[in-house]
Amino acid sequence: MSVQRPLEQILARNLLSSITTPAFLLGEGGVLLYYNEAAAAMLGRAFEEGVNLSAREWTQVFGPLGEDGRPLDYEQLPAVLTVREQRPYHGTFRIRVVDGGERKVAASAIPVVGLGGSTGAIVFFWPVRERADEAAQRSARAWEHRPPDRRASRNRSGR
Amino acid sequence: MKITIWGARGSVPSPEPETMRYGGNTSCVEVALSDGSTLILDAGTGIRSLGLARPRAQQPITILLTHLHLDHIQGLMFFAPAFEPGAEIAVWGPASPEASLHQRIARYISAPLAPVAVRELPSQVSFREAEPVEWRIGPARIRAQPVNHRGPTLGYRIEDGGAVLCYIPDHEPGLGAQLEQLGEEWISGFELAREATLLIHDCQYTDEEYPAHVGWGHSSMSDALTFARRVGAQQVVLFHHDPLHTDEFLDSLATVAQERWRQLGGADGQLTLARERLEIELGPSATSASRAARNGARPVPLPAATSRTPAAADPLTPAVAYDACPGVGPLRGGRRAAA
Repeated sequence: MSVQRPLEQILARNLLSSITTPAFLLGEGGVLLYYNEAAAAMLGRAFEEGVNLSAREWTQVFGPLGEDGRPLDYEQLPAVLTVREQRPYHGTFRIRVVDGGERKVAASAIPVVGLGGSTGAIVFFWPVRERADEAAQRSARAWEHRPPDRRASRNRSGR
Repeated sequence: MKITIWGARGSVPSPEPETMRYGGNTSCVEVALSDGSTLILDAGTGIRSLGLARPRAQQPITILLTHLHLDHIQGLMFFAPAFEPGAEIAVWGPASPEASLHQRIARYISAPLAPVAVRELPSQVSFREAEPVEWRIGPARIRAQPVNHRGPTLGYRIEDGGAVLCYIPDHEPGLGAQLEQLGEEWISGFELAREATLLIHDCQYTDEEYPAHVGWGHSSMSDALTFARRVGAQQVVLFHHDPLHTDEFLDSLATVAQERWRQLGGADGQLTLARERLEIELGPSATSASRAARNGARPVPLPAATSRTPAAADPLTPAVAYDACPGVGPLRGGRRAAA
């Protein structure tokens, strides 16, 4: 027998499924309960029902990453802070998309608090347009961090 | 358990010649438990007639409110036991961070909206906020759970003697949701209604009307039926009729609903449209739940003429006797009043 989700989570999911702003729905402890089609399009992968990745798991999959391309400190993620401290947070960082690339996004995390206490957060994302120099720097860093065999194959292709 | 419907109408009372068969009183359902005690679900205008019919000696009285929209509390001030000195009335309802249940109800039962205040009622009225835990009243186990409607709103699950009644009169489970596809955990009210012997559920709008009322907190016919099928309810009473829906309209709706129910895999005899004074007895919840439904269990003398005579008329006597609604289930109708 499944456990009924709190009403506020049900309504939050219904809202996110009906809008085109990319968004995550997080539950207690930051577990990933749902992300909408707009977020799926940004990430390049559809949401899988019932998987319910923990906060550590989904941050390992999607990021976010800092400007240096390294994963951000888990404890400093807006989503984690929002769930833990029950107040909104905003941040700009990079996320991983399915083709191995990255995308710069701004994210605002809003706590979802039911009558029985906090039950998670909604995290809205939107893409941030990079400046040309930022894109070049990021590309250079990605090249440096690429495994040698992939750098070698690209050199041979001349591209 | 025996269920009697005293008000099946939603939004606003609609006592008109065109609505007399299904009734114009707003939401009120009486639940007689196995030990003879009674619960009252919602206090719409139907509770007025219930109060007049109730023997004075019955104590105490428990009223479970799903929410505080006027059509669910309007009858409180006209509930006769509230004016009986010494009567004990416990009113349960949804919690709100804004104010206590007592304070919120007192906004209605106070000036300028009422000539009396709650504190002036001769009875002993207590207010209790239902929490999402199971509790007992008499032999019944009761569970309340928030459901999707505008404002803090509860559904109730009442278990007694092996039978389960689920009452969700104001509910929009299909808002932004594909009820046929969603997992159970993501459907508002699912656990509350799971495998209920009898589900009384919101069905205010036809499928054609619903697009213009999305987000109003009420259910389309198809969503109500899909919800009922998904939760595995054994019997379903469609409730909270729109005030614009005449008796003839509801007769037609019943036929359409029955056909839709069959399309969803439901069986004949499981589906009923709510009407005032409808009585349903619930046996133990089983694959073949015993159910006997009849109209007008209390003796209701028919008037000689179809028009009511004010003051002299028995307040329980309807102007027109009820009749079975064709195609809705094995209800045995009353006699039609003489023309």
